[in-house]
Amino acid sequence: MRKFVTSFVVVLIVVVHSTSLALAHHGWSWTTGGNISLTGIIKSAQLGNPHGVLKIDADGDVWTAEVGQPWRNERAGLKPDDFAVGVEVRIVGEPSSDINDKVVKAERIYIGTKEYVLYPGRD
Amino acid sequence: MFYTPVATNGGSRILDEFFVMLETLTPIASLRFSRWSYAAINASHIFSIALVVGGTIPLSLRLFGLWSKVPLAALVGVLSLSAGIGLGLALISGAVLFATRATEYSANPAFQIKMVFVLLGASSAVFAHRRYGWVLELASDRALHRIAFVSCICWIGALASGRLVAFMSD
Repeated sequence: MRKFVTSFVVVLIVVVHSTSLALAHHGWSWTTGGNISLTGIIKSAQLGNPHGVLKIDADGDVWTAEVGQPWRNERAGLKPDDFAVGVEVRIVGEPSSDINDKVVKAERIYIGTKEYVLYPGRD
Repeated sequence: MFYTPVATNGGSRILDEFFVMLETLTPIASLRFSRWSYAAINASHIFSIALVVGGTIPLSLRLFGLWSKVPLAALVGVLSLSAGIGLGLALISGAVLFATRATEYSANPAFQIKMVFVLLGASSAVFAHRRYGWVLELASDRALHRIAFVSCICWIGALASGRLVAFMSD
């Protein structure tokens, strides 16, 4: 009985702790807190819920840019066609705290001469 | 169209084609771009998980010997039932969420681990009720402890690895 409870508690701690090894995505806890600007060519776009993901070729480096959920992109004035393959795009947003991940979460997007603001409250 | 399925889970082509077929179903494709229906299904998945975990954890603790004054049969009857209903709802809402990005999720290691936990947890529960009776009246203390142990590992494991799915895509 005691053995079971002990091992249960140990497993609980291990499992719950493992979820704090968050790798990416939700919120901003995994990013640096500062912005970068990334310019490149869209290689692929996976739009839609839970949020969109672009692959961007920046001078041979392929970056993953997380863009908004459909409603956020729409609110910013972006249409799915704007993310067509081959389009040059500039992303301003926070990169993953490990720069080698080459992941950036977009706060603002520039296509052509237009600015699209996904997170109006963020600098 | 603005969703090109990503290759691949390295598994069978037939399976991949099936996943692509799921993603392109009209209601699934529109769900992928909807705001409130997606949020609603997301929320109902969480609600279902709450039923599963909220049933199995207290029940397991009772099987471990906690609250020994509470009659076991009554507790099993209530909590197994609500957890079972929760599991059914979670499977339905989960299947819909999975379909919106089937190719991607099927290749996600956290999702794969989650499926193992769900499969083990569900089959352990079915097995326990079939072998020891609906309210586990035929089980020895040892068997009850074993059932509780597997249940805790599987459902907490499923919850934790499920949460990790969102943090794991490439």
